[in-house]
Amino acid sequence: MGEEILRVENLKTYFFTEAGVVKAVDGVSFSVYEGEPLGIVGETGSGKTVTSLSIMRIVPPPGKIISGRIIYRGEDLLEKSEDEMRKIRGKKIAIVFQDPNSSLDPLFTVESQLNEVIMAHLKVTKQEARNRALELLKMVRIPDPEARLKAYPHELSGGMRQRVAIARALANEPDILIADEPTTNLDVTIQAQIIELLKELQSKLKMTLIMITHDMGLVAETTKRVVVLYAGSVAEIAPTNEIFKSMRHPYTAALLKAVPRIDRRKELKPIPGSIPNLIDPPSGCRFHPRCPYVIQRCIEEVPELEFTDQRAVACHRWKELSLKGE
Amino acid sequence: METSNKKLAKKRRSASQLAVVWRRFRRNKAAIAGLVLVGFVVFMAVFGSFFAPFPPRSFPCLYKGCTSLPPFQDWSHPLGTEPSGIDVYSEILQSARNDLYVGLAATLISVAIGLGIGVASGYSSGVSGALLLGITQVFLVLPVLVLILLFSRILVLLVAQGFGLTIIVLILGIFGWPGIAYITRGETLRLKEAEFIQATKALGASKSRILFRHIMPNILSPVIVIATLTVAANILTEAAISFLGFGDPNTSTWGQMLNDGFSWLNYWWISFFPGIMIVFSTLGFNLLGDGLSEALNPRLKE
Repeated sequence: MGEEILRVENLKTYFFTEAGVVKAVDGVSFSVYEGEPLGIVGETGSGKTVTSLSIMRIVPPPGKIISGRIIYRGEDLLEKSEDEMRKIRGKKIAIVFQDPNSSLDPLFTVESQLNEVIMAHLKVTKQEARNRALELLKMVRIPDPEARLKAYPHELSGGMRQRVAIARALANEPDILIADEPTTNLDVTIQAQIIELLKELQSKLKMTLIMITHDMGLVAETTKRVVVLYAGSVAEIAPTNEIFKSMRHPYTAALLKAVPRIDRRKELKPIPGSIPNLIDPPSGCRFHPRCPYVIQRCIEEVPELEFTDQRAVACHRWKELSLKGE
Repeated sequence: METSNKKLAKKRRSASQLAVVWRRFRRNKAAIAGLVLVGFVVFMAVFGSFFAPFPPRSFPCLYKGCTSLPPFQDWSHPLGTEPSGIDVYSEILQSARNDLYVGLAATLISVAIGLGIGVASGYSSGVSGALLLGITQVFLVLPVLVLILLFSRILVLLVAQGFGLTIIVLILGIFGWPGIAYITRGETLRLKEAEFIQATKALGASKSRILFRHIMPNILSPVIVIATLTVAANILTEAAISFLGFGDPNTSTWGQMLNDGFSWLNYWWISFFPGIMIVFSTLGFNLLGDGLSEALNPRLKE
């Protein structure tokens, strides 16, 4: 494992809506190590995307980062000015969004969208930027890259668009690439190709990859370590190969039971109940209304994230439970 | 064969959005009619003075002793003359330039103000955005025509000194922007949430770059449409102002001619021909605007 490159400490990002304060991210902490592929997994509304937007400091209003620290190479990103932040976005930390159909500006060609990122951070001539753009398209395996440079987004397929989005994120060889559900809006066959590409690029460029997803299969395939989020806080952090064998948080176990697996013929068990209302979250452990192992203490006391060897878990009873995924 | 196919494909691609818009526009007969009418008015504005036998606001017939000649009788005055001796045909030709100037210049001012305020109020959340929206709403409920009449009366000295049209252009421009601001604000609010704007931000683009390079170009098509319609509205309002006698009597516009003919209603040709021109030009710009709106609307893909 490399050096710690990014550390999120007790991050709180709230949305101040008319209905009340939505605590989308409420005390999330985790570390990312250089060169590692890390997964962040959770249901819709667990705070995955908001966490990634908070790292980039592009949380849209009415959202606001309330407190916490985001330490990138020893410096707190939350204390940077907007100008300093702009130099980090797209240069040091880049992000690939969920929907390639809407993450590219429909009015500009692939070339000008790539040039825009390159020239935002480097002083290069148009010709140099063009060469770099061409190189990037080759890197993400776009066939006939010269012709594609002139193409508009609507002339490309979904998979191609996502490749362009990835190329754009990689344009300045960022330290950290955040991929926010990069395959959700793609066909299954294209999903596999994009995942292959990300894996390959990750190992080739020794890039730190933060893979945000709700898909446990994707986590298993692409990551070495995984952070499980539930209702805006961390439930469990563990190496990926261990979590499938021995999960410590009941939520992780429930999550894995809800995933189809080809090697086990078992009925899928959906998690009972639904994700809690984040304006007025449950007391104590946020998972307690849906947890089969709930005791009085879970309702009264918020469990701390306990670190032991490579893992961390936020559950009062993790030591006494022996959970199985299947 | 292979290469020619590739070439063809390339050609199709370079046939950009503009070509697509033109193809859709061309199929719309009303839009083409609008384009022809606007083209006719523009042609008159540019070349009208070459075809006009007499200079504007001159009284050639008066010197010959003839007054209020009906049309189609004396071919040196094909559309007749006003009682004051003004040649209707020359006057109409030379008014086109002034009418078009008022329509276009006032629209340009309105678009500049409306676009700026609309985008700014849509993009900035919080107090400044709300304030700009409030200003827009105040301007939206002002009775524009009454204000214009008021101002042209206040500035009557300037109007009489030959600044008449410029004053009208300024007033029309300054009061004509709220509708444009409303539309651009709505579009900006929609685009601000779009993923590609977020993505651009996440790649390190500055606020001004997002505004000018990504938001403004993406709201251009509704702005083009409303600007075209505003040109028609401005020509019409100018005609109303001049007809009511608040214009500059020394500058020829179609509205001014209506005013000339107002006191001589039995000499129908004095008002009829400029009236037709007002109808043609405003109808033309309206049809053109509607056609553009249809052609530029991405929801109506073929």
